[in-house]
Amino acid sequence: MQERNISASNFEQCQKCSICETVCPVMANNPAYGGPKKSGPDGERYRLKNGIFFDDSLKYCLNCKRCEVACPSGVKIADLIQRARIDYGTHSPKLRDMMLASTDQMGPLAGAFAPIVNYSLSLKPVKGLLDATLGIDKRRTMPKYSSETFVHWFKKNAAAGQDDFKKHISYFHGCYANYNYPALGKDFVAVMNAFGYGVHLMDERCCGVAKIANGMIPAATRDAKINLEAFRKSLSKGREIVTVSTTCTMTLIEEYPELLKVDNSDVKEHISLVEQFLYKAIASGEVKPVWKKDWKAKAAYHCPCHQERLGLGIFTTELLKMIPGMELTELESNCCGIAGTYGFKKENFKVSQMIGRPLFDSIAAAAPEFVACECETCKWQIEMSTGVPVKNPVSIIADALDLEKTSELNCG
Amino acid sequence: MPLNNDFDVIIIGGGITGAGTARDCAMRGLKVLLVERHDIATGATGRNHGLLHSGARYAVKDSESAEECIRENKILRSIAAACVEDTGGLFITLPEDEDAGFGLDYQKKFIEACIKAGIEARAISPAEARAMEPSVNPSLIGAVVVPDGSVDPFRLCAANVTDAAMHGAKILSYTEFLDFIREGDTILGVRVLDTRTGQKAEYRAPVTVNAAGIWGHGIAEKAGVHIGMYPAKGALLVFGHRVNNVVINRCRKSADGDILVPGDSVTVIGTTSTKVPFEECDNMEVTPDEVRLLLREGCALCPALADTRILRAYAGVRPLVADDSDPTGRSISRGIVCLDHETRDGVKGFVSITGGKLMTYRLMAELATDAVCRKLAVHKRCQTAETPLPGSADGRIETVSKHFEGIATLGQKGAAGRQGDLAGKIRFDSEEDKQLVCECEQVTLGEIKYAVAELGVHSLSDLRRRTRVGMGTCQGTLCIRKAAKALAIALGDPSLEGKLAADYLDERWKGMRPVGWGDTLREMEFMQRVYKYEKPYSYDEV
Amino acid sequence: MMKFDVVIIGGGLAGMRAATVLQTEGLRCAVVAEGLSLHDAPRSEFKAAGGTILAGDKVVGGVFEGDRLRSVRTEKLGDVTLEADWFILATGKYFSKGIVADMDRIYEPLFGLDVLYEQDRSKWFDPAFSSHQHFLDFGVRTSDGCALKDGVRIVNLIPAGEVLAGISSAEGDAKARIQKSALDAVQMIRRN
Repeated sequence: MQERNISASNFEQCQKCSICETVCPVMANNPAYGGPKKSGPDGERYRLKNGIFFDDSLKYCLNCKRCEVACPSGVKIADLIQRARIDYGTHSPKLRDMMLASTDQMGPLAGAFAPIVNYSLSLKPVKGLLDATLGIDKRRTMPKYSSETFVHWFKKNAAAGQDDFKKHISYFHGCYANYNYPALGKDFVAVMNAFGYGVHLMDERCCGVAKIANGMIPAATRDAKINLEAFRKSLSKGREIVTVSTTCTMTLIEEYPELLKVDNSDVKEHISLVEQFLYKAIASGEVKPVWKKDWKAKAAYHCPCHQERLGLGIFTTELLKMIPGMELTELESNCCGIAGTYGFKKENFKVSQMIGRPLFDSIAAAAPEFVACECETCKWQIEMSTGVPVKNPVSIIADALDLEKTSELNCG
Repeated sequence: MPLNNDFDVIIIGGGITGAGTARDCAMRGLKVLLVERHDIATGATGRNHGLLHSGARYAVKDSESAEECIRENKILRSIAAACVEDTGGLFITLPEDEDAGFGLDYQKKFIEACIKAGIEARAISPAEARAMEPSVNPSLIGAVVVPDGSVDPFRLCAANVTDAAMHGAKILSYTEFLDFIREGDTILGVRVLDTRTGQKAEYRAPVTVNAAGIWGHGIAEKAGVHIGMYPAKGALLVFGHRVNNVVINRCRKSADGDILVPGDSVTVIGTTSTKVPFEECDNMEVTPDEVRLLLREGCALCPALADTRILRAYAGVRPLVADDSDPTGRSISRGIVCLDHETRDGVKGFVSITGGKLMTYRLMAELATDAVCRKLAVHKRCQTAETPLPGSADGRIETVSKHFEGIATLGQKGAAGRQGDLAGKIRFDSEEDKQLVCECEQVTLGEIKYAVAELGVHSLSDLRRRTRVGMGTCQGTLCIRKAAKALAIALGDPSLEGKLAADYLDERWKGMRPVGWGDTLREMEFMQRVYKYEKPYSYDEV
Repeated sequence: MMKFDVVIIGGGLAGMRAATVLQTEGLRCAVVAEGLSLHDAPRSEFKAAGGTILAGDKVVGGVFEGDRLRSVRTEKLGDVTLEADWFILATGKYFSKGIVADMDRIYEPLFGLDVLYEQDRSKWFDPAFSSHQHFLDFGVRTSDGCALKDGVRIVNLIPAGEVLAGISSAEGDAKARIQKSALDAVQMIRRN
């Protein structure tokens, strides 16, 4: 007899129209993968009958959620697949998967030796070693680790003045801004401060997305609970939670209840992506931007899959369109192919690059100075594959704003 | 009349009783002919819950039926492993049952009656019941665990037919009984019509067995004997997926819609009981009132049903032997009626086997075969209780799946679940054979070819009964085309494809109409669009 | 609040056709598209013309003022509403939930618009699959091209495509009729 019984993922609403199969980037490139319909609702009916119908090919799903965006019936297909991997998967995570997944544990270690790690990760023999022993593809450019974490920088340079502001928010920086790219966190603080918001950090853990994808559910659940406690504490002080990472945000808002079964209903309304937060503040007249007079840029916007799933891409484009010197092309919706740690795995590298091809081609056709994109893993993939720099919208805004004048206008 | 039209026994009816009788007769060395006007398992056999009764349902009112059930339950578990699933069953007591006089006092009486009939029954707490079956109505006040299970009647019937054929029986489906060949007071054989070719034929045997379910009434009339039969319609609903994994019953006097059975990939609620005229038995329509009633009662057993998609509705007719004292049809024993018309009516060479239920088919077959053997002075012991049916020697999905080369695909595991160890006969030589034709039910082209070659398939409905093709969430919207093509080719006449598909669409449509709202209506619109507009049916492009 | 000239609800054939024409003619359009449509409805031309697509989002309700629809709320945008002068309802029939059937009635789920349908469910279907199926005729009522809500004509809410009574994809000429209804909506917006 089975433990589980009813799916909360609306799977019986599936009409078998198979539209999900037409948007699945993996199915088009990897014949070993059955696709979202077969792995999701079709498979689920049979898994409910007998767990033996769990199929190992579900691991090829990169959880991009494009199937969910396309589904006319509201079936949470990717959740079904991820949930099935959690419930029925029998393999324990490999060392490599655990390394890739533990972004917060590898981060501190690597950060302390950042110059050495970065140097050694970029050397061919080392990559070959990773390839052979861990199954991390050697053709992959590894994310660089920063020598000073964002948190360390913030405590030393920024924390002191934050209480002086009239309005306050809590910043969920995520692993990426902390370990790999503190400049993003610094831009965030600069922008928020200019608009008159004091920025505060919380006792945050990794959102857990990589742990979920790699089957480390107990660890992810533990972290989720710690994060939600931190959010509640922040909200009790009247501080909304603002994030910069699309995927972290999706995990905090949607995957906690769906996949980890951790209730976030009391806080999820108070978690905003920074673009959403700023758009609403500017549109309502709550804050006023002063843009640099001579700022000009030709950019192309790539909407990350998870941003599309969250339905929040419109805030980024509307916000970027407010910048007077911005010439913005919206790229056709396509997956870049990396999907977090997925593209780092040796077995997925080729498929990952094939999936990204239409996006890379559309970027080449648009010929922008840079690509605007909220997602850190898309950034790695696009920069590695096209050579075009990718900027987070927050960094673009930090650059386009006249920070001093904005600050004068909003902090007075 | 050529000699090969002579048999020891002719059985009319390819339901489970006829199939079981054919098997038993053939295993006892008789030369058997079975005639069925449609496909096997098309009457009441294929139109019930698929409940492997523990007998608990009958324990209080009809201990004889209860004892029969639990004996046959144990036998089926051992001889038909590929057709049954050991789900276990619950009899739950709800707060409102207390007011109706079926509270926990009744539960006590129920358990005692079960134990007396030899049915293992024990009370568990509501919390234990919720843990055992999370979908059960959480407000239950008591529950009893019994050894219920589910049984796939199509598979069970096909396995009996297959085994009969392996023991030399001749099986003629799509062969309609027209009349008896009669000399004085002796039945000498039957005149039949091949409904596919329109050809008539005569077959002779010293004994003819009437095993035609409710239609046995009319067949008996043709022999000039009267069996007071009583058609009791029972309607059921199929839900889109398995909502429960344990059979849920109401612990009260039998009533409408109080059994919820998980069977294969779906859940079935039933049933109702209405007396219907004989002329309606050939074409049952489920009424809106029946749907409403089943949904209401189903939700009392399992509240999640209120939000679960209903795939279709269907109805069957129980072949009850009439008892004029109770108009509802529920009080009479579902007891077995085996009539030797020579002693009863003075008509020689004619036996009727009727009454009973799916659960007791084997016992019915044994009694009928005993009667046949007495007439033929054959002294052979019945072996159907010990000999596993084809596919059931070691029919568990887990074991069968190991026999496929490499890692079993979903389609191969699906086949293992349906065909038991006979799945080993399916050829997966080419990639094409491994491809799924029906994605909802994980049916491969290889399995379809096997079914056509070995299991007597002539239409897509026949194929559905052997393989579940088109039985899933889309009700064939995505697979009818592919399946019709595969079937037409396997039957050796590709031009049949359009007709096969059109017939099947009408058949699917019939079951969907009574539940045509919500997601089912969405699917119906999609189906119309796929077959009428986006890709109007054409034979060349499939 | 986000302000557009026209908000198109539904990203199928009718919605994208109307949206692309209007956006190209210089009106600022947003399309709310819950899921992909079964009809091939290219979105690139609309996007290239600067149109906004809210993919995977869905309208969950609206605010009416007298005989006008002021704004709509979507699931993903939360308290940020979409305001527009014109709204085109191109949500399709049952499959895309433009109209929804339950056991006893058929309704338009977003705004509770008036729907034309047969009350007796036994008349919805013909037993022969290939015959005309009456349930495909149902859809929202219109008066001079505009939707009706409790009998009141909503002057800036124009249904187009299969959500309309009398247009269904299971009919041979549906594609042409769907596009025509979209262009009728465009005409009405142009005229006013």
